[in-house]
Parts: sequence; structure tokens; C-alpha cells
Amino acid sequence: MINVILQVAQVLGGENSDIGMILQTLFSLSFIIYLFYAQRIQAMTMLRQVEVTLRKVKTIKDEGRRVAIEMVKEVGKPERDPTPDVDRFLEQFVISPVSMDPAGIMGKLDQLINVSDYTNEAEVKAIAPQATETEAHNIENLLGAAHALNYYYKAIRHFYLLGKKTMNVYIIMQIHMILPLIMKEIEATSAAIQAFRNGMPIGDGVGPLVVSKLMRGHESVDVARETVAAWVPYEGRTLILLKAKGPGGSVGKPGDGVAKILGDDKKEKKIKAVIMIDAAGKLEGEPVGEIAEGFGAAIGGVGVEKYKIEEAVKARNIPMYAIAIKQDISHVIAPLVEELYKATDTALESVKRIVTERTQEGDYVLVAGIGNTMGIAQ
Amino acid sequence: MLMTEQNTQISSMSMSWTTLAVIVVIGIFSLFSLWMGFQALSSDKPEQSTYYLLTGTVGFSAIGYMFFRTKAVTTRKPDIPKVDVVTILECPACELKRVRDFKRGDYIYKDDEPCTRCEANMVITGIHRRAEPEKKPKK
Ligand SMILES: [Zn+2]
Repeated sequence: MINVILQVAQVLGGENSDIGMILQTLFSLSFIIYLFYAQRIQAMTMLRQVEVTLRKVKTIKDEGRRVAIEMVKEVGKPERDPTPDVDRFLEQFVISPVSMDPAGIMGKLDQLINVSDYTNEAEVKAIAPQATETEAHNIENLLGAAHALNYYYKAIRHFYLLGKKTMNVYIIMQIHMILPLIMKEIEATSAAIQAFRNGMPIGDGVGPLVVSKLMRGHESVDVARETVAAWVPYEGRTLILLKAKGPGGSVGKPGDGVAKILGDDKKEKKIKAVIMIDAAGKLEGEPVGEIAEGFGAAIGGVGVEKYKIEEAVKARNIPMYAIAIKQDISHVIAPLVEELYKATDTALESVKRIVTERTQEGDYVLVAGIGNTMGIAQ
Repeated sequence: MLMTEQNTQISSMSMSWTTLAVIVVIGIFSLFSLWMGFQALSSDKPEQSTYYLLTGTVGFSAIGYMFFRTKAVTTRKPDIPKVDVVTILECPACELKRVRDFKRGDYIYKDDEPCTRCEANMVITGIHRRAEPEKKPKK
């Protein structure tokens, strides 16, 4: 082979200057081509990176779907194949209410969320009749994660196919620019599959975990949907502890819980402060499990629960303290890391300090642990 | 049904025979021009060698680029993280502490297996991920 090439080269090399001219022309031509097609080449390079990501996301979302179906079959023992039901769930959507006239939107959102929650709960019961309450909640969470992965996949695929069709560098750029951030969220969601499948405590569970440490050994009562509260004496005060009902995966309805407890206290006015503990996103560079104290309603989500808490606290005009346990987005729904587990003890000390420093003996203090209580009982 | 529809929409871009053919053609061309370059260098017209050498080098770097790109696609297996999770058990009576692997159905404050030292039942007091030694210095 090489001999043949060398012979050919020798023959061609005879007309040295001609070949030189050809090569020179080709070389100049490639520069001119690059001059005009640089953007197209760039678009192709970016499209390729998007494609690599898309493949990865596809594997992850298929895994999410597979695990969800497997779990439904395993713990739910349905009579028929749950695959079509799971697929139907993965395509589910919620239309957010019109916000051009925002008055009353909280009520609309609340009703919408309640309807979807109750419907999904009933559907999970129907497709997994043998599952316990805890398992049913975990299945709901798992389906939620699979739903999110499916949505990410479809969004990336949309931009990829649109970009491929139009070869428009700006369309491709839109998805390419945010790809690292989306990938971080997808990886976080994929870590949730393992946690939700097995019912492990997750990073978001730090709030309920702190509260459960105080609640342990005391009787708790239901105060709202999937939400429990316990009255616990501490240093002459009474702590009203509120968290989602575990150990099934649930965030409960802390807004309704806080509103009810503060409402019941309307006449006596014994509650003198509200303390909320929640997981908070950390900035790059901040250590995992760092505790920060502040003011306001420490709660994420759509905003309905936050609104209810703010309204209830405003009506009573009492101070609201917040304790944030810092964590990366990749920790929020992944199995609890040791740093965060240890941070709950530090947060507990913060709660105790705020109670002793900022309230009097005989006061009632409402302490709410916000987050998903999966794997954490009370 | 859902899967097949999606599979057909993403056409394959990994190492196909066309890519291989292009690589081979460019390779031969680059090799040839490099050889020509060295020939010219030792001949009476050394100024011509620059173009040959440049073309050859560009050709080879293009091959390298294409090769690593396709390799990156084919060898990169998507990783779905699986982490080690441990359960911490404590005996309320004798304060014996034990750590074992997480079992499905474990949750914090669950009355679990009987204590190995006394009669009481052990209670799960903690569940967390096992610390990964390789990730520690990353902070
Ligand atoms: Zn014992």
C-alpha cells in the first residue's frame, strides 16, 4: 500500500511545480470556504454537542421510566400492565392560570394544585393497589422525577431538531448556551431515581429532619393534608412543631398547617414567633451544610404555601425567623449527604438558640420544617 | 412505540463507514503532501515546501479532531449515579450504635431489628450517603 503511494508520489513529484500550484490553490480555497462557512461549521459543532447531551438525557429518562414501571409492578402488584398508565402520567401537564389580572391567582393556583395532587394520588392507588401509603407516596415522587426527565428530554430534542432543520446558529445557540445548567438539573433529577425508589431521605428533607429531632417521642396530630404538628415543651416555652407526615415522600401543606395553627390561636395570642427551617440553594464556593439565619418565610415551590404563611403571619404581626441549610442543586433530591445530615444538628442548635434568645418563658413558638420528608418519620 | 419514534428522529452521527473513508482519504493526501514537502525542502526550491508541510499538518490535525470527536461519542457511557447509603442504628436502652447498609423500607425513627447486646429494639437514627473519599478535597 505504502509502496503504491510512494510510486504515485514519485510520478506526480516529477511535475513538481504543477502539484505545488494545485496544493496552493486547494489551501487558499479552504481558507475562502472557511471564511464563508465558519458559522455553519460552528453551528454543526454545537449541534453535535447538543446531540451528545440528548443521547445522555434519553438514557437517563428511559431509566427513570423503566424504574417507575418496575416499582409500580413490584410494590403495587397491579392486575394489568401499568406501562400505559405510567406513559400517560409522563405526558401530563398543568396549565398555569392567567396572570395578566393577578388578583385571586393564589386561590386558582391552590385549587389547581389540589386537584392534580388528589387526582394523582387516586391514580397511583389505582395502578398500584397493593402499595402501602408510604410506598404510594414514593411512587408519586418517582413518577414526578420521571415526568421532569421526560420534559427535559423533549425540550432539548425540540431545539436540537429545530436547529438541525433550520441550521440556524441562533436557534442552536439558545439550547447550547444553557446546556451545562440544564445538564446539572438533569443529573440532580437522575440522582432522585435511586432515592425515591428506595424511600431514602433526600437533601430537601433537612427541614423535616431538624423538626423530627424535637418531635421524637411526642404525640403528633394531623393539622392539614399530609401535615402533622406536635406540642412540645422546651425551656419553659411550648414549641409547636410542624412538618410533613413521614416517612412517605411528601411536602405536605405547611401553608394550611401554619394558617390553621395561627388561626386557632387568634383569641389567646400565645404564639409569639414563627421559625421556619428549609433547604436553600448554595452559591458556588459556599460549603455544603452551611447554616444561615435570616427573616421571612423560608419556603420554595410555586408560592402558594409561602403566600398562605405570609398572610397568616402578617395577620398576627409576629416575627418570622428563617434558618437556611445550604446545599447544591445536585443534593436537593439526591440521597442525603453526610455533611447535610450533620448540619441538621447545627440547625437544631440554631433553633434552640433563637427560641431562648428571642422569646420569653411561657411563649408559644411555631417551628416549621419545610421540605420533602421522604424516609423521615416523626 | 414511543421509543421507536424517538430513535428514528435522532440519526446516528457516530463513526460510520463514510467518516472512516473520509479520514483515510485525508490521511493519504496529508501523508503525500508531507512527503512532497520534505522532498521540496531538500531540492533546489525549498520555498515550495512550506505549502506542502502546512497542508499535511492541517490534514493530520483534522483527522485527529474527527477521531477524538467520534471517540468521545462512542465511549462516553451515560452515567446514572448509584450511591452507597448507610443506616445508623442506635439502641435506646444500652446506647449501642451500629452502622449498616441501607435496606429498602428503612426510615429515620423506625423500630428496627433487636439489639445484639440487650433485649430492646434498635431505632434508626440516621440515614445518609457514605462519604466518598475521592470527592473530599474538591470542596
Ligand atoms: Zn441494646
